[in-house]
Amino acid sequence: MAATKAAAKPDRSRVRVAAIGLGLVLALLGLGFRLFQVQVVQAEELAGQGLDQRLVTRDLAPQRGKIYDRNGELLAMTVEAQSIWANPDQVEEPLWVAQQIGGLLGVDSQELLTRLESDRDFVYLKRQVEPGVAEEILGLGVRGIYTHPEATRIYPAGSVAAHVTGFVDIDGNGQEGLEYIYDESLRGVPGKAVFERDLEGRIIPQGMTDIMPAVPGADLNTTIDLPLQYQTQQACLSALERTSAESCWVVVLDVETGGILAMSGAPVFDPQMRQTLDANCDPAEDPTCHAFKNFIVRGVYEPGSTQKLITVAAALEEGEVKTGTVFSQVADILELRPDACRSADDELFGCYQDFEEHETANMTVAEIFTRSSNVGTILIADTLGQDRLVSYIERFGLGSQTGVDYSVEAPGMLNFEAGCETCWASAAIGYSVAATPLQMAAAYAAIGNDGVWTAPHIVASTTDVDGNEEVAGLETRKVVSEETAVLMQQLLANVVDEGTGQAATVEGYRVGGKTGTANKLGEDGRYTEVTRASFVGMAPMSDPKVVVAVLIDAPSYRYRTGGAAAAPVFAQVMEQALHRLGVSPDAPVG
Amino acid sequence: MTAARPLRQPASRQGLRVLRGRQAKLRPALAPWMIMVLIGVAAFLGLGFARTSLDKSAFELDRLNRAITEQEAMNEQLRLEIARMENPARIAPLAEELGLVIPQDTRQLLVDLGGPALVSNDEGARQ
Repeated sequence: MAATKAAAKPDRSRVRVAAIGLGLVLALLGLGFRLFQVQVVQAEELAGQGLDQRLVTRDLAPQRGKIYDRNGELLAMTVEAQSIWANPDQVEEPLWVAQQIGGLLGVDSQELLTRLESDRDFVYLKRQVEPGVAEEILGLGVRGIYTHPEATRIYPAGSVAAHVTGFVDIDGNGQEGLEYIYDESLRGVPGKAVFERDLEGRIIPQGMTDIMPAVPGADLNTTIDLPLQYQTQQACLSALERTSAESCWVVVLDVETGGILAMSGAPVFDPQMRQTLDANCDPAEDPTCHAFKNFIVRGVYEPGSTQKLITVAAALEEGEVKTGTVFSQVADILELRPDACRSADDELFGCYQDFEEHETANMTVAEIFTRSSNVGTILIADTLGQDRLVSYIERFGLGSQTGVDYSVEAPGMLNFEAGCETCWASAAIGYSVAATPLQMAAAYAAIGNDGVWTAPHIVASTTDVDGNEEVAGLETRKVVSEETAVLMQQLLANVVDEGTGQAATVEGYRVGGKTGTANKLGEDGRYTEVTRASFVGMAPMSDPKVVVAVLIDAPSYRYRTGGAAAAPVFAQVMEQALHRLGVSPDAPVG
Repeated sequence: MTAARPLRQPASRQGLRVLRGRQAKLRPALAPWMIMVLIGVAAFLGLGFARTSLDKSAFELDRLNRAITEQEAMNEQLRLEIARMENPARIAPLAEELGLVIPQDTRQLLVDLGGPALVSNDEGARQ
């Protein structure tokens, strides 16, 4: 019995060994199977998953194009700034931090405290601050405060070129002016970078890298002359002070090319203060807001007597009159409807008066124009008839956009209501027509350019990242003959020499131009005593190079006329423009 | 006198055999193996060194790229600074403080064959 037990023992151990061996074999087979599965069957999929974990894709923001003036001075550029952000969970003493950082950032501490006490894990404290400020804040060593780089748009000329460049929003999207209209060209094409990184986020050298670089935006080379732009703005600010007007607008055009040399106005705005900019802002009500209107392109007004240029040019071109044609018995008042001048709504219903009373007299076309006679001009327009008058108004570019490269240009309008019997007469003297100052400047430039109208523009060319320059084409059309244009130039010179525009004289140069004084419509639809005073003119008259249009809105009563309010501004700006362009004087000595 | 005895034949023993003299066992040549090992080690070290150098140069490239970006950013900042300094709105008040004014009395010089004279003639001024 004992021998049997002894014989059974080795058998059991053999079984155990065999079982263990079998187990080991099965385990190895399992491992092998799994290895085969991982290394062969799923190899590609798993390798892909691993790569996905290491791969990072980053968008590469393109550099926004720069904006230059005609001399290569920078008007707008993009630089790297730092944005300050916080993780409120990590900030230990929010009140202290808000007080410390609020002062450095120029942000209200209470507002910062609200953000620092929020339950989010990412809040901006201020975006796009200068790198020095960011360093100061990081230097405080406050836990939970971080920075990250972000591009910001800077306008080195400040408010000087604001009416030209416009501005972008905080994310770099064009909102106004050139920034808006050329947004696509300036923006460039975003790139993409794909690379492998380790657990700590560092790029793995020799790892997979695929970079599609961003294409920077194109640079804009404008026709603006920055020093002239500044002088224009200064002239406007002085005019506001002198005339107590609501606003002043000036545009300077190169007669031959239609390039805008300066386009400015007052009140001014700082494009950098985009947070406080508001198109509907009334600084009298809210001193912290900034208006950013550009009346030159977007505002419409009744041009008043400056419109007479078109009426007289049309009559001359059509051969209805000559400059020496005499109109007999021209009075200072004209009724187009019986008893119209006895009505309370006389201006609206056919009663026309000259600005200054004068005795009834025979007047030539030249005298009518020089003395800016409303009655005489209506008599000239009568020789044309409404259809031909309207045709010329349209030909000179009123009532439709000039095509200037600026955001949201107003087309203006010709208000000829059906059945309106007197609208043609109103239009002849600059009422019933709504035009922009730029349209009027372009119309005068057509006369200065011997009858060829040229579309005004701000950007002369664009330069892409490879240095390829694309020059903007000029849009031109003939509006009157050269003979008519030369006659009109002589009439314009007469206005400054001996007519209503004598305050527009520029020493050393022969200047031509026309004053305009238009009453503003009140809220009740009736004309008020408040005026819009304007002057549009050109120089030198031997070969006009520059047109300047000035509009002063609601000057005080003393300065209510174009001759008193706008002509001096014109003279100041024109003198600077002629000097800047190096135009030789043409006035006879003495 | 003894008689010459025949030479004794060696007694042959059963089960014995003659073995050839054992030749000296040839040692395997170590040198080639050593050389191969050395080459292998050298190649391994070389590969490691090349890999490290490559990584090092990648880091260097990365550092240089970052430096270029920083310098470009600094260059842009300097351009901005120049543009701000050249802003007429900054220069004009400074010029005024220094007593500079825009000349009111401007004249053009006509350079004629006879010498300069004061004129305002367009044609002459271009000469």
